[in-house]
Amino acid sequence: MTSLLEAQNISKSFPGVKALSDVSIHLAAGSIHALLGENGAGKSTLIKIITGIHRPDSGNLLLDGKLFHFSGPREAIAAGIGVVHQERNLIPRFSIGENILLDRLGGYLFKPIDYESVHQEAKDWLDLLELDLDPRTQVSQLSVAKMQLVEIAKALSLKSRVLLLDEPTASLTSHETVALFSLLKKLRDDGVSILFVSHKLEEIQEICDTVTVLRDGRNACDSQPMANVGRQDLVRLMIGRNEQIPNADLRDHKTEEPVLELVKVATELGHADINLTLRKGEILGLYGLVGAGRTELAKSIIGRYRVTHGDVLVNGQKAKIKSVADAIDAYGIGYVSEDRKQEGLILIHSVLDNASIPIWKRLSARFGFLTDREVIAAINPLVEMLEVRTPSLQQLVGLLSGGNQQKISLIKWLAANVHILIVDEPSVGIDIKTKAYIHELLRKLSDEGLSVLLITSDLPEMVALADRILAMDQYRVKGEIVNNRNYPEVSEKIMGFIHS
Amino acid sequence: MNARILRYLQSDWAGPLLIIVMGGAVIAALKPTFLSPFNIQVLLLAISVNAVIALSQMIIIGIGQMNLSVGAIGGLAAISFAGMMQVWELPPLMAAILALLIGLTGGLVNGFIIARTGISAFVITLASLSIFKGINLGITKAQPFYHVPDSVKAFGNTVMFGPIPWLVLPMVVTVLLVFYLLTRQRVGRYILAVGGNLHAAELSGISVKSTIMWAHAISGILAAMAGIMLVARLQLGQPSIGDDWLILSFAAPVIGGAVLAGGHVSVAGTVLGVVIVAIITQALVLFEIDPFLVQVVLGGLILWAVGMNRIREVRFQKSLKRI
Repeated sequence: MTSLLEAQNISKSFPGVKALSDVSIHLAAGSIHALLGENGAGKSTLIKIITGIHRPDSGNLLLDGKLFHFSGPREAIAAGIGVVHQERNLIPRFSIGENILLDRLGGYLFKPIDYESVHQEAKDWLDLLELDLDPRTQVSQLSVAKMQLVEIAKALSLKSRVLLLDEPTASLTSHETVALFSLLKKLRDDGVSILFVSHKLEEIQEICDTVTVLRDGRNACDSQPMANVGRQDLVRLMIGRNEQIPNADLRDHKTEEPVLELVKVATELGHADINLTLRKGEILGLYGLVGAGRTELAKSIIGRYRVTHGDVLVNGQKAKIKSVADAIDAYGIGYVSEDRKQEGLILIHSVLDNASIPIWKRLSARFGFLTDREVIAAINPLVEMLEVRTPSLQQLVGLLSGGNQQKISLIKWLAANVHILIVDEPSVGIDIKTKAYIHELLRKLSDEGLSVLLITSDLPEMVALADRILAMDQYRVKGEIVNNRNYPEVSEKIMGFIHS
Repeated sequence: MNARILRYLQSDWAGPLLIIVMGGAVIAALKPTFLSPFNIQVLLLAISVNAVIALSQMIIIGIGQMNLSVGAIGGLAAISFAGMMQVWELPPLMAAILALLIGLTGGLVNGFIIARTGISAFVITLASLSIFKGINLGITKAQPFYHVPDSVKAFGNTVMFGPIPWLVLPMVVTVLLVFYLLTRQRVGRYILAVGGNLHAAELSGISVKSTIMWAHAISGILAAMAGIMLVARLQLGQPSIGDDWLILSFAAPVIGGAVLAGGHVSVAGTVLGVVIVAIITQALVLFEIDPFLVQVVLGGLILWAVGMNRIREVRFQKSLKRI
């Protein structure tokens, strides 16, 4: 089988992380190709290299057997490669139609844009997806799912020969997914080559012809026919084990004191009727798909967003958490953000300054005087305990690897002596060894009495760590599962709750 | 029908228009001379020049940046315009075209450096402000060019008919062109797209760099246009032209509902913002209030406007019926 688009032995490093090493993939015309891998395996990086957003350190890209190298998304589009990126990429105040045809608005100097025809053409693409939307509607009025469909329509409208879809179904309903799939099959029959990234294995097996799996930035398999690999094989390729969850003890906290309770909580962001009990020393998981409202719930608990109804109880007492400072100082709740680089750390500050921010208030003497000696005394033991690899405490956090950055994020809260820690996607962008270490650490800390609310989209991680799991969907808690560390059973139950 | 009225009321220009009508009525009731033909002529002269200044800044706000050098570019174009007519005895039209080219060049220099280096426009235009102003003072030795041809003087000070001065003409043409640019021209839409979501614009295949260059080039031309108009109005090439544009250039677009983060500006709102500023300035004169208060009121107005925009934005986000 000849390949329409081929990537050979691609390697790419970012400061502190080797994102891809020696990755190859072959996309054939008229086929749907699955690209699988856990978070941080390198899927998005590969897509960004193919479309010229990133430059590979080494390796070749071939289109129609000819070497190519795009210096930006414009050239990729011109060459017939359409992409739907994982992040939403629409102009919020523009109409749907204008967004779809943004790079082809027409209208040369002094010749006006013909909105009538722009919206007419956009309508045709929306119809293809069975989307009943007025192309004149402003994009900012759409739900996340509709925005995603508009982006797919936009990629289709390029009439690309290669279509790269990075988790297109993450926020779609099953009806929308069905419509999308029938369209993708039609495109495939027309000879388009489609690369499909998803975490939903059922989907992948339903629609894809070939599969490439990435694990830790390497090929776990390269362009295998889907018929040859079963579901178990896929999972084994993705996580490098036969769904073997490390044999952690089953713990029961029923008799422990509840440290954090939410009773019929609603928030300004749209959560409703959230009930949740986190007990001392417990790891409680919050599982859900992108957009289920988990991170948003966490941020509401720590006072970043307002709780509009219901009660939040800390240690059995009603708590009024008005700000994040309140959550830390008065209630001992810390939050490790999923977005380390934007929300978690100040990359251009030192290890010491990052780790000690929450304790400055506590350590500062009269007139706010703060000595380095005291700060170092508080931070250094933790840096050593967590085996952070840094030349010194003065090293800038931005220069550390992802794994070590994550350790600093944790140290920050350990130093602050919180007794409730909310950890959001603890293993995004970190290497597998640090991931294992952080799992071990979280388990050890919870054994010592720390209560952890764990948010992760990585189901194996959830099954490995959590004692109980709450399934969330559309800003509501759908059900509770007591984790018996049996992956197939737990995942079955969770999916049952989410899709019901 | 009701929905349509509601939509008008929620538009960017409804609030400013309401303020103008009500404020105008109050002032006219207290000081009938406010509506005298002469007073209206004075108002229109101020509005004509200031509207072009405000649009020059508005384009850059639209792309999500700031242009501190609007006044310096306008000043340089103004003294060049007057100087070329005095020293080289060029005909006014020729001198005006060359002055516009100087504005274009100044804008392109800004845009080129910003697009090329990725350094914030605030810093780059702060530096270029100083450079353009320095060139201005080097050429003029801080002395005005006095010999402006009579035709130019007449254009700046006579009326077409009634109380409508000739200077309104270039202003109206500019306003229409900018409106057309931002609503019906590809470049204009790209400027707002880049301001609305730079990342998305880039991934859609828009060349962000050339869009930034375009925006600054247009801003430069508009600043030069305002400078030329001011020479006609003042009847001399004053080196200090442009020194006091900065606050107004931000105030008017912001009063008109512009989002300072970029992606959304209103041409009509900006013009109405200019009108509000002109009326307030005029009112203070009519009521013989100390002119230093103009500055205070202008500052207060900016705070009020950004505050209102913020409230509207929050309410807008909440009211969105997501489909």
